[in-house]
Amino acid sequence: MKEKLQPFHIAILVYTTQAGIVVFTLPRQLADYFGTNGWLFLLVCYLLSAGNIGLIALVYKLGGGRPIFEILEQSLPKLILYPVYVSLASVWLMFGCMIGKKYILLFQMISFPTTNPMFFKLAVDVLIYLLLAKGIYTISKAATLFFWMTIWMSLLLLWFFPSFRWERLTPFLLQGGHDQIKGGIELYSAYLGYELSILFFPYIDKRKKAMLAIQLGNTLLTLNYLSLSLICFGFFSWGQLKKLIYPLLDLLAYIQLPFIERLENLLYGFFLFLILITVVMYWWAAEVTVMRIFPRIKKKGLTITLITVSYCISFIPKTLDEVVSWITNLGYVTIGIAFGLPIVLILVLLIQRQGRESRA
Amino acid sequence: MPFTDVRPHEVKELLRQAPVVLVTDAKKVIEGIVNGGVAIFHDGSTYLLDLYSPESRSVQQSETETVITGPHDSFVESLTTNLSLIRRRIKSSHLKIIPCSVGEISKSKVYILYIQNIANPEHVEEMRKRVQRIETDGILDGSILTQYLEDSPNSVFPQFMITERPDVAASKLMSGRVLTIMENSPIVVSAPAAFFEFFASPDDYYQRWALGTALRMLRFMALLITVTFTAMYVSVTTFHYEMVPEALLRTLAESRSRVPFPPVYEALLLETMIELLREAGARLPTKIGQTIGIVGGIVIGQAAVQAGLTSNILIIAVATSAIASFVIPSYMMSASIRLIRFGLIILAGTWGNMGLVMGIALIIIHLSGLTSLKASYMIPLAPMKPSDWKDVFIRAPFSMLTKRPTQVKTPNSTRQTDKKQE
Amino acid sequence: MRRMLAIVVVICLLAGCESDERILEQMALVQTSAYDLLENNKIRVLSSIPVIEPDSDVQRQLLTAENDSIKEARLIFSRETDLTVVSGQMRNTLFGISIAKAGLARYIDTLLRDPSIALGVKVTVVNGGAGELLSKNYKSHLDTGRYIDHLLEKEASVNSIPKATLYEFSRDYNDDGVDPVAPMVKDAGEKATIDGIALFNKDRYVMRIPARNGLIFALMKNNLKQGEIALNMGEVEGRKLVVMFSSLLSKRKVKVHHLEGERFSADIHVNVRGSILEYTGQEDLTDTDQRKKLEEDIAAHVTARAEKMIQDMQRNKVDSLGIGQYVRNSLSYKRWKATEWKDVYPRVKINCRVKVKIKDYGKYI
Repeated sequence: MKEKLQPFHIAILVYTTQAGIVVFTLPRQLADYFGTNGWLFLLVCYLLSAGNIGLIALVYKLGGGRPIFEILEQSLPKLILYPVYVSLASVWLMFGCMIGKKYILLFQMISFPTTNPMFFKLAVDVLIYLLLAKGIYTISKAATLFFWMTIWMSLLLLWFFPSFRWERLTPFLLQGGHDQIKGGIELYSAYLGYELSILFFPYIDKRKKAMLAIQLGNTLLTLNYLSLSLICFGFFSWGQLKKLIYPLLDLLAYIQLPFIERLENLLYGFFLFLILITVVMYWWAAEVTVMRIFPRIKKKGLTITLITVSYCISFIPKTLDEVVSWITNLGYVTIGIAFGLPIVLILVLLIQRQGRESRA
Repeated sequence: MPFTDVRPHEVKELLRQAPVVLVTDAKKVIEGIVNGGVAIFHDGSTYLLDLYSPESRSVQQSETETVITGPHDSFVESLTTNLSLIRRRIKSSHLKIIPCSVGEISKSKVYILYIQNIANPEHVEEMRKRVQRIETDGILDGSILTQYLEDSPNSVFPQFMITERPDVAASKLMSGRVLTIMENSPIVVSAPAAFFEFFASPDDYYQRWALGTALRMLRFMALLITVTFTAMYVSVTTFHYEMVPEALLRTLAESRSRVPFPPVYEALLLETMIELLREAGARLPTKIGQTIGIVGGIVIGQAAVQAGLTSNILIIAVATSAIASFVIPSYMMSASIRLIRFGLIILAGTWGNMGLVMGIALIIIHLSGLTSLKASYMIPLAPMKPSDWKDVFIRAPFSMLTKRPTQVKTPNSTRQTDKKQE
Repeated sequence: MRRMLAIVVVICLLAGCESDERILEQMALVQTSAYDLLENNKIRVLSSIPVIEPDSDVQRQLLTAENDSIKEARLIFSRETDLTVVSGQMRNTLFGISIAKAGLARYIDTLLRDPSIALGVKVTVVNGGAGELLSKNYKSHLDTGRYIDHLLEKEASVNSIPKATLYEFSRDYNDDGVDPVAPMVKDAGEKATIDGIALFNKDRYVMRIPARNGLIFALMKNNLKQGEIALNMGEVEGRKLVVMFSSLLSKRKVKVHHLEGERFSADIHVNVRGSILEYTGQEDLTDTDQRKKLEEDIAAHVTARAEKMIQDMQRNKVDSLGIGQYVRNSLSYKRWKATEWKDVYPRVKINCRVKVKIKDYGKYI
């Protein structure tokens, strides 16, 4: 009996895929690009992503829950599709791989500055392999466990309430920012991850409200981002926030408990759980896509090959800045895929429907 | 004597006798005597009388699963006694038994017990298949049997629950689980089991719910402590000196200052010592075991600190996590967790907090892939079943425990009707 | 699965990098650093490091270096000690008055850039030489750095000085509507003592509020949950009239009004509740009317002291109370950007409206 993904797990899976490395820089980017009360831009992102999920839901409805590859292959020749598949897979593979690398490099700023980052990357990749090898159902179970191990951290925001002042938020709306289009796209990549849910179709329990679950996951993420950013804008002053590269790390470091201090040393590690799921989902997407081209290939061999390839690619960028620029550029492409893929699918489905009607 | 000649008052007398066989072969007589029979020589013919009733241990208190209040009897090595202990608690005609046998040579009897209409038929069938699939010369104990039956025999974690207590066995049956019991073994295997089930003790139910809940929480805290405490010590003292609060700094640093080894080795040394003590205590007679505890715990511990081999804070950490590991009611689970701890200490000693977190991630990834009789092992956290939480993370009052656990996918999930709904 | 686990462990063992180890007892954990500006524009850094030897008589060692930057000093320090000098356990930074007058911004920036230093490190100004204060040994305290640190912490908890850490300092420095403040300590012979509050214009030290006005300053700046003040309210029949006002709870609100011609006025409303611990006057406190009268007297007294203090601040162009934030929030973004706040500020009419409520007056009439 093949187990299906329940709506709750879809919501959690979407949330954990979306929550990733951007959260460390998010409040600063908001303050820097969008100026005062930049957190409002999160609402714009939310609406956009919710709309995009709406498109995915439309694909699901029009296609009757068929896997997207089936839909595409019905109308388009494989000669066109295979290069598309390859590029999709490679973008997803590299995007996941760069997120992993950025996490490691950022970690090395806090401790282990001189160890070779590729050692850590290898260990993380081995963990990801273990997850990936077990399939989407186990990934969703692991995501649920990881979710519980990280969501409590939102409660730490309460620590900053006593120093929070509304006055610091200022009544000015989005004033004093710059490069808002570039910043907007960069920030929107904080929401990326939901677009992979378009590949969930074959694994969804058809009777349940799966599409609503995707929206819920996205909403949960937005609430999390909003509360973090709001706290940052009221705890730090706007000018200060623009100067803190990783405000979340500063927040965590500020917490002092009687038996432990400098929590960023420990809690940064906890974000590994979220990063693992983010990366594993991108790689899973890449794997599923490649499997479509070579349906008879051995899954285990493919997984190892993909991970090895991406590991080799992650040797290329060496510094944090290089990785960030890779992520930004890949982010543009991924956003394009996020919107483009459902739109193409909807067009294909409409053409198919018309064809059916004209035949009938 | 032909039966027709027997007078009515003699029938009772005759039926009370064990079957008497007339034997003519001398070899058979010897064989009969060896197997515990009695030979009667009378009027030139030989009668063989089977009076074999093997001596077995009487029903005693369980050594491994003790409770403070509640029944104290436990299973023994006799299959019939064990069955009667369960039957005594469940006097239902729905309690079914599938007899099987394992072992080409030993031919041990194995019974699969379940309650019809409550147990999931798929689980019963799966269990029967697994028992029949075993091909080996002989299995000597229920705990060995488990290892043949489990989904992933290579995992560190026990996937089936084993117990010596008839009350636990009966409660597992009633919650829809399948029991496997074996002759000559006091161990009963219950399946499917969930990870969190190993943290429940019958005492939680025998005491009032508030106390039971507190005990459950204490145990989960113990799990956290035993897995991470020593590893945290190692990672903080080796890599993350920033994390020590000012008030602790001097104490910690002073206690470390005389120790010649890096914290990992220090911790591994002490953890090994504790394990040695535990193993020695388990193998020795109880009275000597206590002496070993005192010698090891107090004399060696004190001397090690004074000699400057370990820091006293680490002694506290290691002792706390050892005690915490013994709080976990299931011996199998607590042993597994103690084993994992060594891995985490090594990871923490090489990569600090990141190693620790990676170790935890590895455990979680492993756990989320485990199944027990093909049912998810991490239920009710993943997949998420909040309705089960009130009997897993806390022990809610009995009036609220109206449903059977979702893991067994029982056809009859209502345990009691909800009074409030009536 | 098993094989993968083995691989992970092996990798970890191989990669266990000695160079990144920071074993606690092998670190020289800088507890307090003192910075002074020398006449040749060099900086003298003095760091106090606890000595962790159970049998040792001394509790700390001092390392000092004269240098161009404050991080460079660490390299010099490490030549003088067998331990690795690290700053992750730093609790306090003492800035001498000379360096504070020259501006702290670049030092604060340097401190903030270091990932091992968290935002919770205190920023303190020393009235005099910071190094001299830190290197001094006080009889009753073995570790001067820790003594000062605890002194500041305790005083900040009763609000007689503001809490000033890297977080608060850089927050206010980078905010356009408020100026940073820091507590000020000085050497008083046998003891170190709180000397008041150092007020900064941007990052330059400009003026000091004496310690006895610390609580008044706090009342005007924050909502308080704790505090104590002795009010010297003149003389009555040749005797000093002293009121000890304790267990203060206060709420503070700022209202900004726009006047003609780019001028503003601000009202600071402060509501204080508290208990009377000492009262040397003649009035009968059990009598409601007389108590009302005392409440009004106290309010008038506090208002007078606060307004004088604020006038001083306006003269020095330091907006430590953050009136700018409220003015900013009452304007549009464009107008605020067009306003040169530091020029407008001295002309803002600031009124204090203090209301006092006596909660109780002890257990003896």
